[in-house]
Amino acid sequence: MKDQLARLNARLDAIGKRLDEKELRIPVDLVTGVLFALFALVIFQVMPDQVVVSEKDVVNGRAFPTLLMALMLLCCVMLIGKELYKLATRQPLAWKTINLLVEVKALIILLILAGTYFLSRLTGLFVVGGVFCCLGFLLYFRCRKPSYYVITVALAVGIWAAFRFVLGVNF
Amino acid sequence: MLQHIVPASGLLFTLENILWINIGVFIGSVFAAIPGLSVILCVILFLPVTYSMTAIPGMMFLLGIYCAGGYGGSVSAILINTPGTPHAAATMLDGHPLSEQGRTKAALKIALYASTFGGIFSALMLLFLGPQVAKVAAQLGTAEYFMVCVFGLTIIAGVSGKSMIKGLISACLGLLISCVGSDPMTSYDRFTFGIPRLYLGLDLAICLIGLFALVEILAKAEKKPGSLNLDARKIKDDGVITKDEYKRLVRPTIISSIIGVMVGIIPGTGASEASWFSYNTAKNMSKHREEFGHGSVEGIAAAESANNAVTGATLIPLLTLGIPGDGTVAIMLSALMINGLNPGLSLFTTQGDIMYAIMLGLILVNLFMLLQGKFLTSLFAKVVSIPQEILTPIIVIFCFAGAFSVNENYFDVGVALIFGILAWVLRKLELPPVPILLGLVLGSMTETNFRRALLISNGSPGIFFSSAYCIIFLILIIAAVGTIVRGKVLERRAAAKKED
Amino acid sequence: MKKRVLSLGLVLALLTAALAGCAGKQNASWKVTCPWAPSGVAAMVSQQAATKSTSYSDTITLVAEAIKGDAATVNTWVADTKANDTQLVFVGEGLLSITSILDPDKLQFGYEDFVFVENLYSSIFVLSADAKLNISSIADLEEYVKQGDEISVAVNGAVGSEAFLAASLFGAMGAGSQLKLTPYQSAAEAAQAVARGETQFAVSHQSQILETYQQGGVTVVCAFDEKAIENGPFAGVEGVGSKGYPYFRNRCFIMARAGTDEKKVAELKELYGKILADKEVADWLHDTMLLEVDTMSVADVEAHIDNVKSIVNQYKDIVAG
Repeated sequence: MKDQLARLNARLDAIGKRLDEKELRIPVDLVTGVLFALFALVIFQVMPDQVVVSEKDVVNGRAFPTLLMALMLLCCVMLIGKELYKLATRQPLAWKTINLLVEVKALIILLILAGTYFLSRLTGLFVVGGVFCCLGFLLYFRCRKPSYYVITVALAVGIWAAFRFVLGVNF
Repeated sequence: MLQHIVPASGLLFTLENILWINIGVFIGSVFAAIPGLSVILCVILFLPVTYSMTAIPGMMFLLGIYCAGGYGGSVSAILINTPGTPHAAATMLDGHPLSEQGRTKAALKIALYASTFGGIFSALMLLFLGPQVAKVAAQLGTAEYFMVCVFGLTIIAGVSGKSMIKGLISACLGLLISCVGSDPMTSYDRFTFGIPRLYLGLDLAICLIGLFALVEILAKAEKKPGSLNLDARKIKDDGVITKDEYKRLVRPTIISSIIGVMVGIIPGTGASEASWFSYNTAKNMSKHREEFGHGSVEGIAAAESANNAVTGATLIPLLTLGIPGDGTVAIMLSALMINGLNPGLSLFTTQGDIMYAIMLGLILVNLFMLLQGKFLTSLFAKVVSIPQEILTPIIVIFCFAGAFSVNENYFDVGVALIFGILAWVLRKLELPPVPILLGLVLGSMTETNFRRALLISNGSPGIFFSSAYCIIFLILIIAAVGTIVRGKVLERRAAAKKED
Repeated sequence: MKKRVLSLGLVLALLTAALAGCAGKQNASWKVTCPWAPSGVAAMVSQQAATKSTSYSDTITLVAEAIKGDAATVNTWVADTKANDTQLVFVGEGLLSITSILDPDKLQFGYEDFVFVENLYSSIFVLSADAKLNISSIADLEEYVKQGDEISVAVNGAVGSEAFLAASLFGAMGAGSQLKLTPYQSAAEAAQAVARGETQFAVSHQSQILETYQQGGVTVVCAFDEKAIENGPFAGVEGVGSKGYPYFRNRCFIMARAGTDEKKVAELKELYGKILADKEVADWLHDTMLLEVDTMSVADVEAHIDNVKSIVNQYKDIVAG
């Protein structure tokens, strides 16, 4: 068992090392500008469907979101313009390095969180999700101390019981 | 007033009241320290307990929760970079960096002392100036509220980090998110995309869990296995606050307490707004501006004294005019009404002793908060040394349980999760999350008052310049913008000098 | 070590099962969900009833709960409950008569999903006016309306009961086109708005305008009821019904899920009847909350819903545009 675990860890380490070496560089301000400009345009597009207005309104329900999206668009244009100017004058752009290992690890954490959520929701028992969450994170951290498993699961059950029976939260 | 003080003291200083104050303070501190469990939720949960009590112990218990909740939110903000309550978000900006410098106890102590000062200051304001101040606050109308919101939005500049443009994009996003739900002026749904639960809007506490707590959990991915846990040997956390630091705390604490009281007496505004206004003011007035965001003791003191100064101030319109200053106080109103007390100035004549006992009790609550806080600080400080393997899932469980508790619905847990993912993407794009929070806090209030003011004036913008209060706020806004521009110019000059 | 961990795990699992089992044993507890603010009138009355329930019944304990959310909370309640579940919910004319007409998509339920248990109270709304206008009777109001100026009324929420009462009164006076409804986030805010002159009038519960009235900021013009108010600080204030104007009282019905055993419903109704007959409760409702104890039959409830529906249908263009 121990050998198998050690082998598994070694394999994971090897994969991790490979991923750690892979990096992606993005022109962060340019990407932000383009992404949020598109977002603002999408909001403009869905506004008529999503915000019903009445002719009686002095200032209707679309005014404020329209103002916000116009401001967002303006900011995006400034951000993009700034970066394009830098590009034209051969100044260095703002770059952001994305490490693949970090993103994969974040994805695993996200899966643990999503698993916790779906298990709680589907079973209707929060404690089931809670126990899954504990085990998920302990495995993620490659924890080998049995006491940690016991303490964490006990705490999860305790928290659930406190919410359920002391505070009367029905889950 | 003096004729009421002696009998009021007699009513207040009973073993029962002191016991309930302490129970309330303890519950409030612990509850608010847990992300997602807001003070208002705590008051709602424990309100039924007070229905079998008489007015004074009932109010003492709830005030204990309310005041200690003001301080408790800072605990998780300092320890795990996640504000326990929305109003502790400003504390997080400097509290957590100070904790990371190995000064967790000092950060917690500063938060406690500042909170106590703010709380007692506002209790004294309530006691001595309550009715007079309330009458002035009652004159503030829709247009004035809008101007307060605009003033609040100037804070975006201070919390935008390196790029003001990116801060504005974040703020627009936050303000847009605040539009989701039933339009307050027409009741029509907006941006609900056919999801029935969305017409209630998105609860601030739930968004906060995603934006600050869950993203911190995802950020564990950025840490190397060896750097996950703090090395206890490297930390020498004696909790000492130096004399020089104490001196630096005086000014922001006093000014922020005044700001907290001023914000608190305006019904509809609350501790979140107060803490941001104060944080921004303290930053602008500080000789050590560069320390803000990196563990400034002044930053912690400003945010904490302000959000606790709100506690007494929100009671001013409640006790004198019967108007609850914020949501939590509105719930406390029912504790009074269930005992046959309909708050208002007339009650000062008919039940003066009880009213003064409640007001004196607020001072007592803050003193017990200090005493309990001193004891709990060492205990709370130990959280940072809990192994991450244990702490991480426990934080998640608390966050999810807290999010569920708000409306007893898994939908909200899903929303928190989505906000966590959103915050992760924003982190990658180097967009600051704090302006989103500001947008969420001020969004609905800004829009509603803007539209209502124009409705009242039949579309004439002149309403925003129609009263002396509006002009005062306008001057404040111009001053704030001026300070921002001046700060940016100075920053550029300093950067240019460095390059030379 | 392994064994120890296993046995500890087993103990925990048993403990969990035992705790989960306990949850299903609360047969005598009826949870009463109020879908409005915990500080609101209905939530407070429900809480008071829950506190008294143990004094009047050995078999039923009422547990009050307030989950703000209006239609969303009731939608969830309907989706999560079935006949004979020990769950009750508050539903008022706002949902059954107003939202069902103005925004039916918001409701995933209808009156047929419930069985009526009891109505605890009724509240008579009042119209207050800025004291500077010097309007203190319906006759004064009619005079004022005749001048043809704009009439601004502060109301709690854009399409709530208060908005429809204002629309029906001024609409019936022929001043619907002059009316400007200004929605506020709470009744207290609306009351303050009229006191500082932001609007000329406000519609609110009596208890919500009391303090402003006592300080002289407003005058109380009329009550939205058949006759004049008989008791309390507003005794003598004319009822709009006496002049032929439409009106309704605010009521919040306690409902069980449709199909619930009739005997259980009758038992619950009897318990609520005993609680409302308690002098302490009645005095509190009357003196502090300025409400009236108002038990009703199913026929009364249906008549109330229909009355409000007809007012909404008649005046919805004034309110919703």
